[in-house]
Amino acid sequence: MGPLVIYEVISENINLLTAFIIGTAFGWVLESSGFSSSRKLAGVFYGYDMVVLKVFFTAAVTGMLGLLFMSLFGWIDLSLVYVNPTFLTSAIAGGVVMGAGFIMGGFCPGTSFSAAAIGKIDAMVFIVGLFIGIGLFGAGYSIWQELYLAADMGHLKISDSLGMSDGLFALLLILAASAIFYFAEMVERKFASHRL
Amino acid sequence: MNPRVILTAAIIPLALIIAAVPQERDTHYKLTPDEMLAEVNSRERFISPDMVARMIVDGDPSFRLIDVRPADEFADYSLPDAINLPLADLLSESYRDIIDQDIRINIFYSNGTLSANEAWILTRQMGYRNNYVLEGGLNYWFENILNPSPPPDTSPSEEFARYDFRKAAAEALRGGSLPTPVIESTVPPPQMPEISRSATRRTVAGGC
Repeated sequence: MGPLVIYEVISENINLLTAFIIGTAFGWVLESSGFSSSRKLAGVFYGYDMVVLKVFFTAAVTGMLGLLFMSLFGWIDLSLVYVNPTFLTSAIAGGVVMGAGFIMGGFCPGTSFSAAAIGKIDAMVFIVGLFIGIGLFGAGYSIWQELYLAADMGHLKISDSLGMSDGLFALLLILAASAIFYFAEMVERKFASHRL
Repeated sequence: MNPRVILTAAIIPLALIIAAVPQERDTHYKLTPDEMLAEVNSRERFISPDMVARMIVDGDPSFRLIDVRPADEFADYSLPDAINLPLADLLSESYRDIIDQDIRINIFYSNGTLSANEAWILTRQMGYRNNYVLEGGLNYWFENILNPSPPPDTSPSEEFARYDFRKAAAEALRGGSLPTPVIESTVPPPQMPEISRSATRRTVAGGC
């Protein structure tokens, strides 16, 4: 039955419209949960507010379980779901750059748009910086092309590379998430006085 | 009770269920018997020999001829630029990239249409697209494209146009001097099927 657009249950345009509606809802939920505040977002690095970690980890766990159950019921063909290719070197380098930008700017790309939408000037400056970064990346592509395309591991899933089933990996990840959430809340209590 | 504890208590049993279910890794069979029957009855998989002749003469790069007969028959005779992919080896992993692609039209052919149809049914059942069958096979090809017989005098002009085209194409295919085949007909040339691109290969943007 799914993915709907591949089985042509819905058209390409309806697919984009659905993405637009979900994206708008996502932005609204981000804003109403306080993710438009750079103080809240930076908290994950200073240890006083781990809500970013918990929300995105929960989203991943929910999405993962949902997809696996939908696959179990025959509602979606997971072999047709796009898996981003893994370029290990650029994933690490990009993670470091993104993390540094996150600490300095207090936003990640999605939350900066959410904050700019309610008129926050720091978020608008962050977005200008984001586009400058994109421009620099494009202009200097020949310099880091080799790094960018290094260690191409294809459409790799962690479960495949560990040789376990998707379901077993999901269970392990959920157990790990529970432990991480418990640990994160301990950290929150310890660093509560560092709140910005 | 703490809502987080309740949530965790709900999610972990779900995860246990999903971990205990054997993963179905083999999702090859994409079509139900009803869908397969509808596809088999539809004649959309056939590509007419005239269209194939035209594409060969034009040097059209958007198609590939695949000979599904055994290697010895392929060695005896094959269509220009065809590759040999014997039906018996069709599912071999080394041929996968040839039959599962979205770059060009594959046209299976055999002596009649039986083997080519079998190859098409197999690839269709595997969920691959862009595979077609040469209508009539090599037998029809020999009789009508390479050795066309003139239509009766009372035939409509399209018949004569087709005959002229086939004669010119046969010349070109035999490697003789190459008079560019012209169809002077009001009938629009047949349309090639569209290459269906696999949506799984599209990229998506992600991030938070």
